[in-house]
Amino acid sequence: MASEKAWQVNRARDTILARVRLAERTALLPRAPAEMPRHLEFASQPAEPCLERFQREARALGIETFLEASAAGVRNRIKTLVINRRVFSWDPELLPYDLGSILDNVVLSRDTRQEQALAEIGVTGCDGAIAETGTLAMLSGRGKSRAAALLPPVHVAVAQRSDLCLSMSEFFRKKSGKLRAAASCSFITGPSRTADIELTLTVGVHGPGRVIVVIGP
Amino acid sequence: MSSPFQQRVLAAMGDQGLRSALDRATAQLGDRRKNAFSSLDHSDLIRDISRYAKMDLLRDLSGNLQRFEHALQDNGAQVHWAEDGPRANSIIVDIARQGRVKLAVKSKSMVTEETHLNEALEHAGMEVVDTDLGEYIVQLARSRPSHIIAPIIHMSRADVGRVMEQRIGVPFSDDPQTLARYARERLRTYFLRADMGITGANFGVVETGTICLVTNEGNGGMVTTLPRIHVVLMGIEKLVPTLAHLDLFLKILARSATGQKLSVYTTLVSGPRARDHESGPEEVHVILLDNGRSNILAGETAEILGCIRCGACLNACPVYKNIGGHAYGDTYSGPIGAIVTPGLKGLHDWKDLPGASSLCGACREVCPVRLDIPKMLLSLRKTSIEQGLSTFDMRMAMTAFGIVARSPNLYRFFAALVRWVLRRSTQQAWVKTAPGLAAGWTKVRDLKVPAAKNFQQQWRARKRGK
Amino acid sequence: MKPAEAHQSGALPAKVQLFHTCLINEVFPEVGMSVVRVLEKLGIEVEVPLRQTCCGQPAYNAGFQADAKKVARHMITVLHQADGPIVIPSGSCADMVIHQYAVLFQDDEKWLAKAHSVAARCHEFSSFLVDVVGLTQIGARVRARIAYHPSCHLSRGLGVQQQPRELLRAVAGVEMIELRESEECCGFGGLFSVKNPEISGSMMNRKLAAVECSNAERLVSCDMGCLLQLAGGLHRRGSSIKTQHLAQLLDEGMQ
Repeated sequence: MASEKAWQVNRARDTILARVRLAERTALLPRAPAEMPRHLEFASQPAEPCLERFQREARALGIETFLEASAAGVRNRIKTLVINRRVFSWDPELLPYDLGSILDNVVLSRDTRQEQALAEIGVTGCDGAIAETGTLAMLSGRGKSRAAALLPPVHVAVAQRSDLCLSMSEFFRKKSGKLRAAASCSFITGPSRTADIELTLTVGVHGPGRVIVVIGP
Repeated sequence: MSSPFQQRVLAAMGDQGLRSALDRATAQLGDRRKNAFSSLDHSDLIRDISRYAKMDLLRDLSGNLQRFEHALQDNGAQVHWAEDGPRANSIIVDIARQGRVKLAVKSKSMVTEETHLNEALEHAGMEVVDTDLGEYIVQLARSRPSHIIAPIIHMSRADVGRVMEQRIGVPFSDDPQTLARYARERLRTYFLRADMGITGANFGVVETGTICLVTNEGNGGMVTTLPRIHVVLMGIEKLVPTLAHLDLFLKILARSATGQKLSVYTTLVSGPRARDHESGPEEVHVILLDNGRSNILAGETAEILGCIRCGACLNACPVYKNIGGHAYGDTYSGPIGAIVTPGLKGLHDWKDLPGASSLCGACREVCPVRLDIPKMLLSLRKTSIEQGLSTFDMRMAMTAFGIVARSPNLYRFFAALVRWVLRRSTQQAWVKTAPGLAAGWTKVRDLKVPAAKNFQQQWRARKRGK
Repeated sequence: MKPAEAHQSGALPAKVQLFHTCLINEVFPEVGMSVVRVLEKLGIEVEVPLRQTCCGQPAYNAGFQADAKKVARHMITVLHQADGPIVIPSGSCADMVIHQYAVLFQDDEKWLAKAHSVAARCHEFSSFLVDVVGLTQIGARVRARIAYHPSCHLSRGLGVQQQPRELLRAVAGVEMIELRESEECCGFGGLFSVKNPEISGSMMNRKLAAVECSNAERLVSCDMGCLLQLAGGLHRRGSSIKTQHLAQLLDEGMQ
């Protein structure tokens, strides 16, 4: 039975690849002019520093941003944001600025889906903050629940200055090793939204309707 | 008398609600696109690089598919190949059965529309729910999406309210915020229960074996995160070479589709979660679907496989604006539908589609990868003539044209004949109802009668007079 | 540049061939006469190859490429018989000769070379005046409120967008009105207009509604296909708005 299946898989694969190979011989596909560059090298020094650009883009998307000068400042900020709320967080040791010390009694990756779904606020770190689009990048991993940035109605992400990069390409270059090792990578660019009904903008459809970024030193 | 396409056109054009909805939506989306591109430095170059990256990739599609397959397998994903829709569906049904799946949730995907996957899963006794808001409404209304990006562009907010009231028993509302909340509450329970997530792929990155998905609502994230099993159904043409290229494609995709710099959720999936990780699917399956694509690659419209399904050409197309998506009769509508549908399903039953264009070129202008859509429409028209798919009158008329218009004397004679017939039929300078081929003309406008003395006669008379 | 300067700069060709197109020959001879008069007033001699017929577009656009090729070969032969610039007073016919002949003969080296050499000499009327001769100020005067319809093949196909507008703006007394959604197709599209009259008619009526609400007295274009459609539509609507080819307006203003 299993070998029968395997045989069918291979047959479909071989058939498709044979058809494609044959098709390539007659395919009418335009060729690039010889002088056209194949890659885009952006100016390495952007006109505007990444931090300012990130904040500007993020605000335009409706992301609330807070800039903190010290680790203590970040902790205080998070404390005021999560106070009296049910929190679903990444494992504390994976959060920067010793945030574990202020987050107690929180729902974690290892807890049940039902408990996670009841959380009112999700707290995560991030692996990159992309300035030109105001985007947060998060690689999957142990203790870094992907659902923490998706299920609760509010998402608080903590970023370090060193997470900032100009573009997604730069992020890919900087994190190529980690990216290869991760099963998935999520880029989040603002609150969840839809415009499916008469192109009227509605926020918080499936993901969080509120996204807050706290940027620490 | 009139073809199914013409009947659908007439039905759409008689629907005032549809037409005003289309007018509003396409104009808005078109404006947003234009503004978004003004925020992109080097946009022309980015479009060119993306275009030719795609063309070069397609030139060696077989090699790229194998590299992609290996990269996916290295990441721990299972790769399947499907020659056509039914086979793709049965692969997915098998995966679902083996995984004891009772409920599958889907994020927005055109290719599962193409294969009618929902029906196949339901037939196999499984529940399947579309989770993109627009697709969910479409599924509740038992309809089909009419726009690649905005599936319910044809519905008003009150239409949506009525569908939800009737099908899920919520109080009627025509407030988009409330309607979205209904959907959120309802769909949340499905996300939490589902055993299988089904998605398409916006891009597949050959270099790294990565599937890229974009959504705005976050359903793409949910579907690839919460269920135990993630199944990707993708056309074999959806590849891009490297992550650096992916960055460029994402820049032009969101701008062209919705006028955003980047969609809210961009999810890269490379494989199942590691054993000691708590979140993400345990199994990732990727099904590579041909279903006519290799056939398109072999022909004159191979270029269309570079399409990234942004929908910009729909919003720009004056024909689409008048008739909407359903009139195109299949999954893909608008200018790309007019090329993709005959390519996937054969010209024989779809020859009307390439004909229904004034070749105005608005689509080519907005296409982020600069597909020469008018050129492809023309070559499909040519192929349909070569396959003998035109009417007898048309064939005769064109054969006659070919003979007459290369002989100045015959040409003069026939022009004089037409002039005589038309001028004899009316004393006026205009004909209100014309016979034969010209009847279509006078259906909606008057026909100017040929001049008593044509230009060459006037020119010669003037020369003699000088 | 003004005509006198153009003469001195030597940019002004002494003689041109006129490819008058089939629509002008049969339905709008007055447009052809205006083109001739405008060019002559600028001191350019006009020759009309009398064996010309049609560019072949009706067959080409309908997919009858074999028939279109026969016609195209005839036209290439006719246009080859004289030299010097060829003026074409219609955007889509110009695009046919300049771009589509090369597609038709892509697998036929001999005819491809001929098509290229003819194409290199061909210029749409407004582009000829502005780009070849270097003229915009031709000293015309017409008092009228004018809306310009940029035909798709001219603006998107040939990239001729500003030239007609520059010529119009340079006419003393002309008040130019930019149409709402001016780049939208008028719905002509050759046989498309006959085979899909409902869609074509609806596109036309959108365009005409924009023209009517612009308060223009005249609608000017550089494509006789579009003008056949728009004039027919205006007549059906009982409108008093006049349609003109750019050459007619210039001709009128230069008298």
